[in-house]
Amino acid sequence: MKKNRGFIVAFVTPCALSLIIMYLYPVLRTVIMSFFGIESVTASVSEWSFNGVANYVKIFGSPTFQRAMTNMLLIWLVGGIIVLAFALLFAVILTSGIRFKKFFRAAIYLPNIISAVALATMWIQYIYNQDYGLLNQFLGLFGLEGKNWLGTDMKFWAMLFAFCFGAVGYYMLIFISGIERIPADLYEAATIDGANKVQQFYSMTLPLLKSIFKTNITFWSVNCITFFLWSKMFAPVSTEAATIVPVVYLYDTVFGTTGNVSRDAGAGAAIGVTLAIFVAIIYFVMNKLLKDDDLEF
Amino acid sequence: MAKNKDKVVYKEKINWKREAALLPGYLLVLVWIIFTAIFLIWILGASLSTSKEIFTGSVFKFESGFHFENYINAWNSSNVSVFFMNSLLYSIVTCAVVILIAAPAAYVLSRYTFLGNKPIKTSLILAMSIPEVMIIMPIYSLTTQFQIRGRILLIILYIFIRVPFTTTYLLNFFASLSRSYEEAAAIDGCSPAKTFWQIMLPLVQPAIVTVTIFNFLSVWNEFFMALIFATSSDMTPVGVGLLQIVNSMKYTYDYGGLFAAVIIVFLPTFLLYIFLSEKIISGVTGGGVKG
Repeated sequence: MKKNRGFIVAFVTPCALSLIIMYLYPVLRTVIMSFFGIESVTASVSEWSFNGVANYVKIFGSPTFQRAMTNMLLIWLVGGIIVLAFALLFAVILTSGIRFKKFFRAAIYLPNIISAVALATMWIQYIYNQDYGLLNQFLGLFGLEGKNWLGTDMKFWAMLFAFCFGAVGYYMLIFISGIERIPADLYEAATIDGANKVQQFYSMTLPLLKSIFKTNITFWSVNCITFFLWSKMFAPVSTEAATIVPVVYLYDTVFGTTGNVSRDAGAGAAIGVTLAIFVAIIYFVMNKLLKDDDLEF
Repeated sequence: MAKNKDKVVYKEKINWKREAALLPGYLLVLVWIIFTAIFLIWILGASLSTSKEIFTGSVFKFESGFHFENYINAWNSSNVSVFFMNSLLYSIVTCAVVILIAAPAAYVLSRYTFLGNKPIKTSLILAMSIPEVMIIMPIYSLTTQFQIRGRILLIILYIFIRVPFTTTYLLNFFASLSRSYEEAAAIDGCSPAKTFWQIMLPLVQPAIVTVTIFNFLSVWNEFFMALIFATSSDMTPVGVGLLQIVNSMKYTYDYGGLFAAVIIVFLPTFLLYIFLSEKIISGVTGGGVKG
């Protein structure tokens, strides 16, 4: 064992170093930063001034941050229902013995592979375009008046729907893997006992997918907490109240692109810590729930 | 061989009654996929049209011919060539170096017991769930302090950020290999390091391919870090580059060029997906981890 020591150290050090440099040190420093008044993110430690929980008081009292949190919760709740419902629907359809299953599955997952920036650009510049966009042309077929989908009142929902379209495939794949793990003889037995497909779905598939639901809800929640790209793409130049989310608010307070926001790295760190605590709570709660799950199949 | 066999089985069990019962399912899936297809085909059509044709809704008539110059314009004057080459450089270098860091670590973590083994494994999993907003600020001040800038900065960050996922992914594969390989190698007088590089690493090659595909996709599509750290246009990757092109649209008004740029940005990952979709999909569901 002793002669192996040098070999083990040499093999594991680069990995351990990258963990320390990229994760351990930054996380600790961000937590400390969140309790200090820091104007610029590059300010040295000597310029920091301790101000307790003032950063947290500041962000939770800020109307912009409250709006960002509200938007995030809306995305989580409404988007979550839409995405998980469609994902489950497609997963059930694709596992029902349909032909071309592999092609359909690959096609529905496709938006997850292409750059989200390209995907968002396509939605904004084509589907939602007021002059030649698909949505308004489609409405025109029925003689309906086209709308300005990217106006202030519609923008949030336009963004949410475009985001959901791209997300469905990933959650569908996880549902499919869950459904395929349920033994086929359970369904055969149920069919013999006279249960129809709908009854089988409600009293067998859904309860047996409990742990898959937890996985999906965990991933979806973390995805919503770190929601950034779509908000940035739908309001690329200056942040708008309609689409602001916490990470965009953090980006603006720390790296201040909008100009009229005063830079405050301490408040930014407080937002980061708040979001990380949300993620931790979600993992904790979901793990607790999973432990109670004694279903085995 | 196996495919032919499948086809024979399919032909035998065409059961129209059963297919009819599945009709609503087919319709729903087809509507969704046709929407996706119209979407992509229109973008392709628009990338070959002029701005005027796009606005008058005559994208697929190609009255003034195919405007391949949109691609040339996007590539040259909109700087897409620079963004594209940067992304290619970031993705390839990251994929290669991350394996060199992660594979040896995954090997010793899965095969040897030593002080710090457990904490490192736990940290790797924790690191994957830490939101990026928790780490960017100190990283930003570190890079200014040590004056690390230019392309090398993003390469280093992308390598570090892919290490936890890659190591954890490979760990499980090394753990499943038989001990007899190492025992045989040790009897023949092969040193542990040599055993790893010449015997064990080639054995996990399929896992390395899968994890490399995920790393490539992830770095190619990365946006958040690039937005913060790519401070000059000569180090900008495709994601942020495309955002810049969109933002300059109101001055250039070149819609054909914009859609050509969109196509160029998503083409590499799209092609990769066409050839490797089965491997990618089984990687997503097999690991249950986000790539």
